[in-house]
Amino acid sequence: MIEFFRLLKWELFRMYARPRTYIGFAVFLLVEGLVLFLLNRPKVQSGMQNWIEQVAGGFDQFFSGLTLAFILVGGTVFLLGAPFLSLVSGDIVAKESEDGNLRLLLARPVSRLKLLMVKYASCQIYALSLFLFISTSALLVGVIERGWGGGYVVMTPEMPRVSIFEWDEGLIRFYLMPFFLLISYLPLTSFAFMLSCMRIKPAAATIITLAVVMADFVLANFPLFPLFKEYRDWFVTPRMQMWVYSQYQDIPWPQVIENWAWLFGIGLTGFVLGWMSFERRDIKS
Amino acid sequence: MLKVSHVSKHFGRKSKPAALDDLSFTVEKGEIFGLLGHNGAGKSTALGIMLGMVYPDSGEVTIGGVSVQKQREKAMRKTGAIFESPNFYDYLSGWRNLQVLTAFSGGVSKKDISEMVEWVGLEKRIHDTVRTYSHGMRQRLALAQALLPRPEMLLLDEPTDGLDPDGIVEFRKQLFALRDDFGVTILLNSHLLAEVEITCDRVVILRGGKKVYQGSCRGLVQEEDSYRFEVDQWQVLEQIVKEHHGESIQSENLVKWPREQDIATLVSELVAKGVQLRQVVKLEASLEDLYMKVRSTEGDEKS
Repeated sequence: MIEFFRLLKWELFRMYARPRTYIGFAVFLLVEGLVLFLLNRPKVQSGMQNWIEQVAGGFDQFFSGLTLAFILVGGTVFLLGAPFLSLVSGDIVAKESEDGNLRLLLARPVSRLKLLMVKYASCQIYALSLFLFISTSALLVGVIERGWGGGYVVMTPEMPRVSIFEWDEGLIRFYLMPFFLLISYLPLTSFAFMLSCMRIKPAAATIITLAVVMADFVLANFPLFPLFKEYRDWFVTPRMQMWVYSQYQDIPWPQVIENWAWLFGIGLTGFVLGWMSFERRDIKS
Repeated sequence: MLKVSHVSKHFGRKSKPAALDDLSFTVEKGEIFGLLGHNGAGKSTALGIMLGMVYPDSGEVTIGGVSVQKQREKAMRKTGAIFESPNFYDYLSGWRNLQVLTAFSGGVSKKDISEMVEWVGLEKRIHDTVRTYSHGMRQRLALAQALLPRPEMLLLDEPTDGLDPDGIVEFRKQLFALRDDFGVTILLNSHLLAEVEITCDRVVILRGGKKVYQGSCRGLVQEEDSYRFEVDQWQVLEQIVKEHHGESIQSENLVKWPREQDIATLVSELVAKGVQLRQVVKLEASLEDLYMKVRSTEGDEKS
C-alpha cells in the first residue's frame, strides 16, 4: 500500500509538472470569463432579475457570489467537462504507449495492474482537482462581482423545484458539487481510460468516448425518441446528472446511493475491461 | 544468467511467418552477448519477451533462474534495460526522470542517483529538462536509469544507434567497466556488426526470426584460415593447395588452408619447389564475413 502511494505521488508529480495540464485549467478560466461576460449583458441581467425575484425574493440578496459561481460552474462543466475529461483519461495510457514512456515503466519490477491502478487513481485525482479549481475560481469571480454573503438560489432542468439556502449552508452545498461531479463523471473517465488501455491512438480514445456519451445523451433525452423514455434508466447520461442532487433542498440520499452504485459499477467495469485488455497486450516499440 | 528456451512468437495470423521461431540460447554470467540481425529479424521481439512486455506463444525466458513469464516482477528486479531512442518525460529534468522511474523499482536514495549520474558523466546537466538534451546525453541518462538500482543483467536495444564516434567509444568503455568492475551481464541487441564484434564475447545471429548462428565472435576468425599469397608461380601453389584439400583463387591471390594443417607446410613446400615467395598475409575473418556467409548459406538453403 505504501508503495502504491509512493508511485501515485510520482505519477501526480509528473502529471502536474506537465505544462499541458495547465492549458486545460486556463481554458476553463477563459470559458468562465465568457459565461460571466454573457451574464452581464443587460437582457440576461434583467431576465435573471425577474426569475430570482419570482422564485426567491430580493435580487440583490439571492443573486449572490455563490449563485453566480454556480451558474459559471454549470456552464463551463456542461461545455467543457466531457471533452476535457475524456481527453485526459483517453491520453493517460495511450499517449505514454505512443510516446514510448510506457516501455521504460514496464521494464521495472511493477505489475501492469499496479501501474494501471496508479494511473487510474491519478486520473480521478486530476478530475477532482479540476472540479475544485473550477468551483473555487468561479466562487472567486462571484465574490469579486457580487461580494461575500447573501443567499444561494439554484435551479437546473433536472431539479423538481428551486433550492434556496442561506450563505453558510449554500457554501457547503456548493463545495459538495465537485465531489458529486467526480462521481458523476466516473463512467466517462473510466470508459476513456478503458479505451486508452487498448492498442489505440489517444485521440481515438477521446473521440470514441465523446461519441458514445453524445449518443447516449441524445437517445435518453431527445424528444424525437419518446419511446426511449420508458428505458431511460438503461442509459448512462441520465445517471451522470446525479451531481445535481447535491443542490436539492433536501438531498435524496436513497436515489443518490442508487446512482452511486450504478456509476461506481460502470466505472469499475470500465477499469476491469481496460486492465484485461492491457494485461493481454504485447507492448512493442 | 539469461536462458532463452524454445521461444516462438507470431504476430497476427498464424499463417504469417513467425517473428521468432524456436529461439534458444544462454548468456553466461559476466558475459557481453550480442543479438545480431537485420531490421525485422526478431531482435526487438526477443528483447520484449525477455522483459515480459511481449508474450511468447511458447517457450520461456529465465533471468538469474527466475522465469520472466511466471514471475516477471521478481525477474525484473535483477534487470535493467535501455531501448532504442529512449523516450523520457522531456518536460522533466533528467534528475526527476530518474526519480520517477526508480520509484517503480522501490525507490533509490538521492546519493545512489548522484553517484550514478556522476558515473555516466551527466552531473552538469542533470537538472536541465530532458528536451534540451542531445541524443548522446539521453543515452547516458538511459544508461543511468537502467543501472538504478544496480541490476545483475542489462538488456540493451540498439544502444549506440545515432551516437557519434566519441559517444560510441565512451559507451563501449562503460559497458566493459560494467562487466569488469561490477560483474554485470550484458545482452546487446544490434545490427551494427563492427560494434558487436568489438564489444561482444559471443553472438546469436537471427534471420527471419530464426537463429542461424551461435558462437564466439573471436572463434569465427579461426574457422576460416584465409591467406593472401604473392608468388611467381601460382600454378605450383595451386597444385600443392589442392593436394592438401585447400582452395586457391588466383584472381584474389587467396588461399583457403585447412585449419588442422600448419600453413608453414605450404610455405616450405613452395620454397622446396623453387617458388619465389614475396608476401604471405593471414586474413582475419570479420563478423561481417561470417554474417554474409550465414546469409548466403540461408539463401542457398531456401533456393
